[in-house]
Amino acid sequence: MLTVKERGQFVATLRYVYVAIMETLSAWVPTAPEMEAKLLFGEHIWDAAQHADTLGKRTFELRMPLQKSIRPAEGYVDFLAAVAAIGPTPQRLAAMYDVLLPALAARQQRYIDSTDKLVDAPTVRILQRYLADNARMLDSARALRDELPALQLNDGPWVAALQKREAGLELVASAMPEAVAAEA
Amino acid sequence: MPATKDTKVVRGIEVRNDPAREPCFKIVHLHHDVPDEGNETIEARRMRAHREYNQEVQTLEVAALCLVDFPDAPWALRMELARQCWDEARHAELMFHHLKELGGWKGMYPIANLDWSVVAMLDSLPARLAVQHRTFEAGSLDIEVAAVPMLRDMGHDGQAELTDAIEADEIQHVRFANEWLKHLTDAQPRAVMQVAQAMAWLRKLVEATSLDALKVISTNDETRQLAGFSNAEVASVSLLDNAGIGSIPGARGPADE
Repeated sequence: MLTVKERGQFVATLRYVYVAIMETLSAWVPTAPEMEAKLLFGEHIWDAAQHADTLGKRTFELRMPLQKSIRPAEGYVDFLAAVAAIGPTPQRLAAMYDVLLPALAARQQRYIDSTDKLVDAPTVRILQRYLADNARMLDSARALRDELPALQLNDGPWVAALQKREAGLELVASAMPEAVAAEA
Repeated sequence: MPATKDTKVVRGIEVRNDPAREPCFKIVHLHHDVPDEGNETIEARRMRAHREYNQEVQTLEVAALCLVDFPDAPWALRMELARQCWDEARHAELMFHHLKELGGWKGMYPIANLDWSVVAMLDSLPARLAVQHRTFEAGSLDIEVAAVPMLRDMGHDGQAELTDAIEADEIQHVRFANEWLKHLTDAQPRAVMQVAQAMAWLRKLVEATSLDALKVISTNDETRQLAGFSNAEVASVSLLDNAGIGSIPGARGPADE
């Protein structure tokens, strides 16, 4: 069973990531030329903020300060910075909606699978709701690229390389139990 | 604090360069270079929808930039700005659908991004709240309230409902800015100076660019009270209006004819 401290570390680290996603999408709004992409990012800024906010309330329940964020492992921080620095809109969309958000959903699912569903039920409920939100966000991005094919990145190797990079990274800076850390 | 800015000069005053736009758009630098023929004809209504579409996107861009530039702002205020991003994105989508219903398209008319160019130059969050929310958006509230019955009288019921719905969202944006400005200026006396400097700079810009903003817009007292202005503040703006110098920067958007 994950300890209170371990659960708090995961939740606070995830909060850091959602704040970073909110800020990345915000930075992309004025710098992406395509109006439709701006609107997509605008909607998802609010999703990411809500996720961060709910996680920040949960940190308080796990003996941490309210709205506590913990900086992820350095490699993951570098990965977030690399995504934020991407310029062309098709690459931005691919990085966010084909790599970062799906991978984050997978990490959350692994956490749900590894934690005690009763002891840690409040965290599980929060993450399950995010998985539903995450699916909606991915659907929106897919629909946008179906409607505007110019926003679709036709560079499978680029996406695969980014996915591979993400998959090789630790999320939480301090040691997590083997069951979570090994898969993450 | 924002990093070094990409700027341009308009009528001798340095302002922030335009946000990214697709090549289909022709960008002009002053509001009066954006076509505006009122509301009577279908062409005029397309112009209006096109202006409002870009206006909503600009407001989204300003709110998003505040989230980027001020990562240490109170979390509750960042949440308000994040929610505003979604609201403005929805408004822009609604206006784009409306434009298409009228037979219009993206890039049909020139656009100006002067609100962005002004607000994105300001280095403090209190200054941006004062100029963007408390001045520009509060001015828009007054315009929208007047526009709803006018559109209904003209038989444009759908457009009236759309404007009314957007106004309901905008009240909250002005309200949270009013609340946070009070809080921030109480907590940091320096913020009062930042706001005063920003408003002084704005007046200088208005004078230099002869912004259409100097047109008189009647202030809607009830809406401003909903948006968190005190009775004294509403009375003050009304007095300025009566003197013909009120609502200085708010006169953007479609109904300023």
